[in-house]
Amino acid sequence: MTVEESDLVLVKRVQRGDKSAFDLLVRKYQHKVVKLVLRYVRNPAEAEDIAQEAFIKAYRALPQFRGDSAFYTWMYRIAINTAKNSLASRDRSPIAYDLDLTDPEESHSVQTKLQDPDTPEGMALTEEIRGIVNSAIEGLPEELKTAIVLRELDGLSYEEIAAAMECPVGTVRSRIFRAREAIDKRLREVFEGGLGRTEEMV
Amino acid sequence: MNEEHPSSERHGERDSQLSAMFDGELTAAECELLARRLVRDEALRGQWSRYALIGAALRAERGVVLHDRVAWRVQSAIAQEPTYGDSASADANVSASRPAVVAQSSGALTRENRWMRFARPAFGAGIAAGVAALSILWLRGQPGGESQVLAAAEAPVQHIVLAPEAAAPRVAMTTPQNPRETAGTSGDYSTPPAGSTNSLAPPARLANYVVAHSEYSGPLSRRLALSGLVAGEPGNDAMADDAIPPADQKTDHPKNDHPKNEKRVATDAP
Repeated sequence: MTVEESDLVLVKRVQRGDKSAFDLLVRKYQHKVVKLVLRYVRNPAEAEDIAQEAFIKAYRALPQFRGDSAFYTWMYRIAINTAKNSLASRDRSPIAYDLDLTDPEESHSVQTKLQDPDTPEGMALTEEIRGIVNSAIEGLPEELKTAIVLRELDGLSYEEIAAAMECPVGTVRSRIFRAREAIDKRLREVFEGGLGRTEEMV
Repeated sequence: MNEEHPSSERHGERDSQLSAMFDGELTAAECELLARRLVRDEALRGQWSRYALIGAALRAERGVVLHDRVAWRVQSAIAQEPTYGDSASADANVSASRPAVVAQSSGALTRENRWMRFARPAFGAGIAAGVAALSILWLRGQPGGESQVLAAAEAPVQHIVLAPEAAAPRVAMTTPQNPRETAGTSGDYSTPPAGSTNSLAPPARLANYVVAHSEYSGPLSRRLALSGLVAGEPGNDAMADDAIPPADQKTDHPKNDHPKNEKRVATDAP
């Protein structure tokens, strides 16, 4: 089974009336979609708004989704269109590179746009999470670290990782799971109650 | 310890499945079972979220704030949306503006439209056929009805012609091949019958017509048109002013190369 097929199981559940299955898809892809939208808008808070709108549009269009393409490919297109429409409705170019930076006032405006105006708490939390994950990765045995990095950074399938690491697919599955468990354990230790929700996190 | 061990082992296996499902490496059946479990197990869903978070943190996605705010807001918004599938009809009654309702009603309309699309022409054809049958029966019932039916069947075709000189449309009648039929039917029409003095074309205009016609027709059809005009029957010479085709009307269509068609062009000349 592939990621596409796995997502399709969740999509079909949504189409059969299981809203929480859509929540799983949102949780899985929210960061990717926000990152995608950030190509069009510089403001992370605005990117989140657009991502939210894109997911709601996707939910409304889901009855028409037949699985001809992967869910994320479909979602990707919706997100891009939503971002473009958002920009068009505000009548401004995606990136303000063409502004005259010699003008001090305009330069200040660009600086404000390019800076991250998201809440300091959110950014601090993000940095903290990254720090925990990186330190947890560093503390992993080499085979677990290699397996999780090949999966998350290089996007290889279990079969490809098995070929690269010269081990059975079952071993790869176990190594990736153990790596995630170790990182998750560190995260849970730091953030009491886990990181399931923003309110719980902050 | 012995009591806890099977439970933690079971959880370990379940979490391992969750990790594999996240990567799309679980079988479809296992995936379906775990998806059902995820619906009612908030802790498992939190774990799913953290797996996504770990991936995002590892990829160091610049500008992405590592929290679940988007998911939380989407979930709140989706709660107001209709549920699809089996429970969609129940939700559809709540609000008419929701997508599922729209989809359902549009589907019903589409079915109705499709049926009407085929039904309308069938009804029209049926009515036309009925009227025609009644007319034939009625005509047969009249004194001398048989001959009227035959005459009606062989009646000349009327064509509305827009002459270039005149803005108003005029009616020209195809000249019948048999003069006897003309005698029997001409009185039924308001337009003058072919062969009347009014319909004779002045020689100059006839020559103009032939020149205009030759610009667009092939050599064979041109020759046939000329021979038809010069050596034709008196009825065929009756080329009404009304029948002169517009200068921009092409008559070199392959159909018109046939002598019979050419004759028709020359006489009833659209």
